[in-house]
Amino acid sequence: MSKRGVNIEDVEFHLLLEAIFQVYDHDFRGYALASLKRRATQALAKFECATFSALQDRVLREPETMRRLLPLFTIGVSDLFRDPDYFRKIREDVVPHLQTYPSLKVWVAGCSTGEELYSLVILFREAGLERRTVFYATDINNEALAIAEAGAYAMDRVAGFTQNHQRSGGTCSLSDYYTAQYDRALFQRTLRDRVVFSKHSLVSDAVFAEMNLVSCRNVLIYFERSLQDRAIGLFRDSLMPGGFLGLGSRESLRFSTHDDAFSEFSREQRLFRRVAA
Amino acid sequence: MRDKRSDTPIGLYAAVTVSLIAVFWADVSTPLGFAVWVFYIVPVILTVFLARPSAPVIAGVVVSAALIVGYYVSSPGVQPLTAQMNRVIAIITVFVVAFIVLQTIRSRLAVERQDWLQTGHARLTGKLSGEQREEELAESILGFIGAYVESMGGAIFLDFATSWKRAAVYGCDQPDSIPEYIQAGQGLLGQAAQENRIIVVDPVPDGYLTIGSALGSTKPRGLVIAPFAIDGVTKGVVELGFFGAVDDRVTEFLARISDPVAVAIRSAQYRAKVQNLLEETQRQAGELQAQSEELRVSNEEIEEQSRALKDSHTRLEQQQAELEQTNAQLESQADALETQKNNLLLSQSTLEAQKRELERASGYKSQFLANMSHELRTPLNSSLILAKLLADNRQGNLTAEQVKYARTILSAGSDLLNLINDVLDLSKVEAGRLELRIADVSVKNLLRDLQVTFEPLAKEKQLALRISADSAAPVILRTDGQRLEQVLRNLLSNAVKFTERGEVELTVRVPSADTVAFTVRDTGIGIAEDAQEAVFQPFRQAGQRTGPDHAGTGLGLSISRELARVLGGQILLETELGRGSSFTLVLPVAGPELGRAHAQIAPIDANGHAPIRDLKITEPAETAPLVRIAHGPDTRVLLVIEDDKSFATVIADLAREIGFEVLIAGTGQEGLTLAAQQSPHCIVLDLGLPDVTGLSVLDRLKKSPATRHIPVHVVSGSDYMEIAYPLGAAGYALKPVKREQLVKALSELERQSARRNRRVLLVEDNAIQLESLCRLFEAPEVTTVPVRSAAECLEKLKAETFDCMVLDLNLPDSSGFSLLETLSQEPAYSFPPVIVYTGRDLSGAEDEKLRRYAKSVILKGAKSPERLLDEVSLFLHQVVATMPAEKQAMLQRARSRDASLEGKRVLIVEDDVRNIFALTSVLEAHGVVPSVARNGREALAMLEATRTEARQFPDLVLMDIMMPEMDGLTATREIRKQPAWKKLPIIVLTAKATRNDQAESLQAGASDYIAKPLDVDKLLSLMRVWMPR
Repeated sequence: MSKRGVNIEDVEFHLLLEAIFQVYDHDFRGYALASLKRRATQALAKFECATFSALQDRVLREPETMRRLLPLFTIGVSDLFRDPDYFRKIREDVVPHLQTYPSLKVWVAGCSTGEELYSLVILFREAGLERRTVFYATDINNEALAIAEAGAYAMDRVAGFTQNHQRSGGTCSLSDYYTAQYDRALFQRTLRDRVVFSKHSLVSDAVFAEMNLVSCRNVLIYFERSLQDRAIGLFRDSLMPGGFLGLGSRESLRFSTHDDAFSEFSREQRLFRRVAA
Repeated sequence: MRDKRSDTPIGLYAAVTVSLIAVFWADVSTPLGFAVWVFYIVPVILTVFLARPSAPVIAGVVVSAALIVGYYVSSPGVQPLTAQMNRVIAIITVFVVAFIVLQTIRSRLAVERQDWLQTGHARLTGKLSGEQREEELAESILGFIGAYVESMGGAIFLDFATSWKRAAVYGCDQPDSIPEYIQAGQGLLGQAAQENRIIVVDPVPDGYLTIGSALGSTKPRGLVIAPFAIDGVTKGVVELGFFGAVDDRVTEFLARISDPVAVAIRSAQYRAKVQNLLEETQRQAGELQAQSEELRVSNEEIEEQSRALKDSHTRLEQQQAELEQTNAQLESQADALETQKNNLLLSQSTLEAQKRELERASGYKSQFLANMSHELRTPLNSSLILAKLLADNRQGNLTAEQVKYARTILSAGSDLLNLINDVLDLSKVEAGRLELRIADVSVKNLLRDLQVTFEPLAKEKQLALRISADSAAPVILRTDGQRLEQVLRNLLSNAVKFTERGEVELTVRVPSADTVAFTVRDTGIGIAEDAQEAVFQPFRQAGQRTGPDHAGTGLGLSISRELARVLGGQILLETELGRGSSFTLVLPVAGPELGRAHAQIAPIDANGHAPIRDLKITEPAETAPLVRIAHGPDTRVLLVIEDDKSFATVIADLAREIGFEVLIAGTGQEGLTLAAQQSPHCIVLDLGLPDVTGLSVLDRLKKSPATRHIPVHVVSGSDYMEIAYPLGAAGYALKPVKREQLVKALSELERQSARRNRRVLLVEDNAIQLESLCRLFEAPEVTTVPVRSAAECLEKLKAETFDCMVLDLNLPDSSGFSLLETLSQEPAYSFPPVIVYTGRDLSGAEDEKLRRYAKSVILKGAKSPERLLDEVSLFLHQVVATMPAEKQAMLQRARSRDASLEGKRVLIVEDDVRNIFALTSVLEAHGVVPSVARNGREALAMLEATRTEARQFPDLVLMDIMMPEMDGLTATREIRKQPAWKKLPIIVLTAKATRNDQAESLQAGASDYIAKPLDVDKLLSLMRVWMPR
């Protein structure tokens, strides 16, 4: 006899997350439940499990299942120069500030398959800042990182990329940066020269270097409030005074406890500036 | 292809031949007329089993020949004509049969062929079924066709955009030499495809591809190229090679299957397309879902926000209601206050009127007294004189009794005169109209007078009278002698009056450096405790006893007390009932003016009464021990360098009232030390110091870079103003210093220190740039000092202090780098926080070098003035706050030299400047010698260098993980590859907290790991563990 008001599916789901954490050290317990649960429900169909408990059984005993499940939980949709106005804003208003520094560090947190990273590298290259910048691209999913490092995307997406790039104020053609092979577009290896790819979890890991720009877009919406707070705390500690934080178009700092550490640089584009301590 | 024809067993041929020969032999051996030739049909019929259509015809011809031969060879039997006719008929029959057989064979062959084609078609259809992908399909098609038509090798190309893509190959020796793509119309293949016709190449010229197997290879004999087309569109082309000639049923077969194969290919292509579209759709569905999720999330957030808004709205409404209530309350209170105010005004005016009345009354009184004094005294004087004359009895004409009457009159008159004088005095003192005549009074003379006066009185009462002065007592006293005498007289007369036996003693002592005490002690009746206060009241006496022994008006003590106050001192009483009393008049040595500031004197209370104290005149309290004041950024510290303890205390109290924290130094040296250590906000310096002159102290204060900015107010007993100001004094005051002067000086100092001007040194050689920089920092409390070369800059830093410095790297006489190095090494130059502002592009190494000295580096650009201003403001306002912390850090550093880590060499591999700085400061504080590599590659290079250059090998490596060029784990693995470095302790600094990641570090070869954020203690203990002595 279950207690009244207890949803069995919710309990199962929580147990699943707990199991994943205990065995694989991937901590999804702080993620936004609603969206995570929806994704997991889709995964049920894909793995032909009837319930979360069945899925948990498979996950616990078959690492291969976990490996295939991970992208379903984490990979989001992204494009090069997604939300072109954001990149335009960076190009026009943030870059002049960054130009006063002799050396720069940029952190793309939750880089997924790398579209965001390459957008920034290309933007910096066009602004002449690439040589003095070190880019850190981190994600919890090794496969996504591998894809990002490979830098190849399906050919049919490139038209969209090109449009976005132009709308963001790109100075040359996007085709200068890739070569087409069969049905894939492979981005130049030189774009990766200044990039450090690394596995890093916003849930459990700590600050590793001091940044001028942190870009973490459409990652925080998948987190619960307390985890969002932790992540923003990491960004706060990473950024030097006057450093910039860029969030996704539907994200904000308004409800975090670190609101006072940032001033609004651009409201529409969700760019914030770290105020001096 | 197997030759079907050769499939026919030899047996059949043999049978036909044998039967032919047999019949021939039979025919020959029998005479004519025996219709053995009928049996010639047999071989012809037998040829039906053969596969050659020509066989029966040949057989027919042979049989005909045999018939003819047989006719001639057989022995005669029947009529030759008959035999001839028979043979002819036989020949005709044989040919007919042969013809029939021929048709049979032909139709059978045709059927077989059709059968073959159809079987092939059917089987092919079977192979084409199922949902195969293009490649699989091509493979199975080629495989089947190749096998079915017995080709030895071939390739199949499928339609791919505008060209043909090789889909399957078999039997070929070198499959790679078969082109992968063939353009439309290119070569025979292209042509066949384009024209949709089968092309046969037979024989194959040299140079064509060889067909091979494991045991050998050869070139094909014949080639067939056949397209597969449907609805006029060619979907694929196959090329087949044959060892033998190309059979046309192959071409027919290929033509037949062209349609179904093309259909199958087309279907496969369609399927593939559909699959792609499906995947595309799924992907887009995924995108949509993600977007809708994001929307949902933001929706939820908006809901929360609106809820929060609603909450705050309700709260606001509540607050508004409360505010209204409070408003109402306030209004009523304001009304009440208004009323009160009016009342107060009313009473105030009443009071004023009363005061004016009183003044007028007291004015009348004073006037009256002043007038009356003369009026009172004159007749009294006359009476006294006359009484005296009578009492003298010069002429001797009075009786003893009359003389006694006269003496009584005299005495009474004197008393009355005294009383009048006292009353007048008291009223004068109360009215504040008592004038003091200050002069140098000889104490000795005074005492002598008193002795003379009271000796007889004492002797009369048989009391011992002792009047003496301490050896330390001053010879000259600066005061109003007459009044002093008056008080002493009063005290002495009281003492004598109230003492029946014993003694009266007057002693003069010096209880403290600037006071003198006159003590009148008697062994009289004493005063009861409850009466002690009362005796000072006018017209009161202890016990209210009147009588001849205690005659007197009772005004004496109150007048004495007032007089003492006016003289700048007070009267203290110590008494015990039955034992005697001791009255002490304490006066300041220097005179009444400074009295209040100087001596340990209790303040007079509102009624004008000094509280009665114990007579123990103690030494004034020791000046507070010189403590280190831990002051926050807001407290202002005043340093008083003054050897006169009481004056110092006075200033200290005054300063504390205003809000300063006070430090006191008794000697010049102490003062200098304190000034350097505590960095007070202002200094009050006395010029008369015991160990060195105040002027030299002032000089040294102004010369030292640490203290030259502190304003100094000089206080002195002599006038050195002309020297003190040029030396740098902020103010000067001559002793004796009035309280108001001190207050003013301290307030001025306080105001100065609060508004202390910030000084910024600008080092830039370009005049226009310099000008714009000066204008950038223009502000009321900021002073900018521009210089245009390194030499000028050094000069300025030697002579003055600055709060902040902006430095360009390209200077005419020296580079910014060497300038910074000089500043950091030579202590003679003050080294303010430096902000480098340069147009030069800096390399990574230069950047790192600069970071060691400069607080921040700004490259000139569009937004750089903004940034420059921000950073400079940061420093100007932080200066006060950071100093104590830095000092604390300095102290800590000095204390934490750790024996076990002292002198160890540690290699830090880390690319983040902030982390490097933090680590090196911690390590250096513990005596460790750090070296830095910016990434794994540099670290390896540095370790290599220790091998070749015999430089010191590190004792331990701190390795960060996330670095460009070569990350920490890779570097660790590389290090461990070298046998010489296998034992080198490597501690990994990881930002990752999961167990797997940390296990990964250990697997890569690290000795240990520590997670960020770094716990310094933990790091140090780890280091101690891995670097034992």
